[in-house]
Amino acid sequence: MVLCINNLTLNRIIMKRLFLLLFFLNILIAVNAQKYMTKNGYIGFYSHTPMEDIKADNNQVAGVLDITTGDMVFQVLIKSFHFERALMEEHFNENYMESDKIPKSSFKGKITNLSSVNFAKEGTYDVTVEGDLTIHDVTNKISTKGTIEVVSGGINANSKFNIVPEDYKISIPGVVREKIDKNLAVTVTMKFTPVATK
Amino acid sequence: MKTYVKIALFVVSFIALSGILAALYMFNLKHTDMAKARPDFILSATVLQKEFEDNETTASAKYINKILEVSGTIASVKPADNNIISISLVTGSDISSIICTFPAITDPLKFKTGDEIKLRGECSGFLMDVLLNNCAVIVNKK
Repeated sequence: MVLCINNLTLNRIIMKRLFLLLFFLNILIAVNAQKYMTKNGYIGFYSHTPMEDIKADNNQVAGVLDITTGDMVFQVLIKSFHFERALMEEHFNENYMESDKIPKSSFKGKITNLSSVNFAKEGTYDVTVEGDLTIHDVTNKISTKGTIEVVSGGINANSKFNIVPEDYKISIPGVVREKIDKNLAVTVTMKFTPVATK
Repeated sequence: MKTYVKIALFVVSFIALSGILAALYMFNLKHTDMAKARPDFILSATVLQKEFEDNETTASAKYINKILEVSGTIASVKPADNNIISISLVTGSDISSIICTFPAITDPLKFKTGDEIKLRGECSGFLMDVLLNNCAVIVNKK
């Protein structure tokens, strides 16, 4: 009888420990999440000419970052870019980007110096990202510098680079060409959070 | 000067002036104020998400560039650095929702997870979620 009770309590203790172990294992797995994502990333571009400054913002960028491979994927809807003036936005969508026909732009690339980033330690790390940028159905290889910022609860990725509209077969008529910079300055700000692993 | 020349001059300058004014007006035109705009469709967040998930092409043709009045429950609130607020609405899917982005002026404190909300916005399309832009709150119930 006594032995039986002891056995039961022992069983209970073992069960409890096992439960706790599983619980902590789960936390460990969650903390070591390999994939990070965001649906509210920012991509904006800026054009400066003596005639006019033009700025457009998109706060609905979807992005995924895999910290084991350094793979990065971004996707945007062209219609989510916002300009101060409604007419500019209309021209951008209808004349230049043809967003009814080509609604999305994307980037698929990789951090090439992944070993220089310590994802376990908070801080800012310089990275180089290479990959395919697809705008207006034209894909070009690009390579750009940026930073990876490891913060508590996530990873921030920032980059600034220039693109030339003509590289993506975006034709801007002569009258307006003077008003738009030959090189558009693109800013990327992503705040990734870990993907909950089930 | 002869009278008909005067009249001709007057007409020409009138046309030129109205042309310049119209161009200025077009150039400075602001975005549609969603709070006052007439919605093209009135529907729930769940229905909207399901239509895009079932057939993106049909739903895109139907909703993109249209003003949608959507009602639903707030699943999350995300403020960005530049004071732009985005909220997502609960739908029938775990991974795909409706993301509504508000202009920079919006007061972030008025959105709480779990609140019922009705809003109007312009549909940009579908990535992983249905995206609405330039949103305005119509009713915000606790």
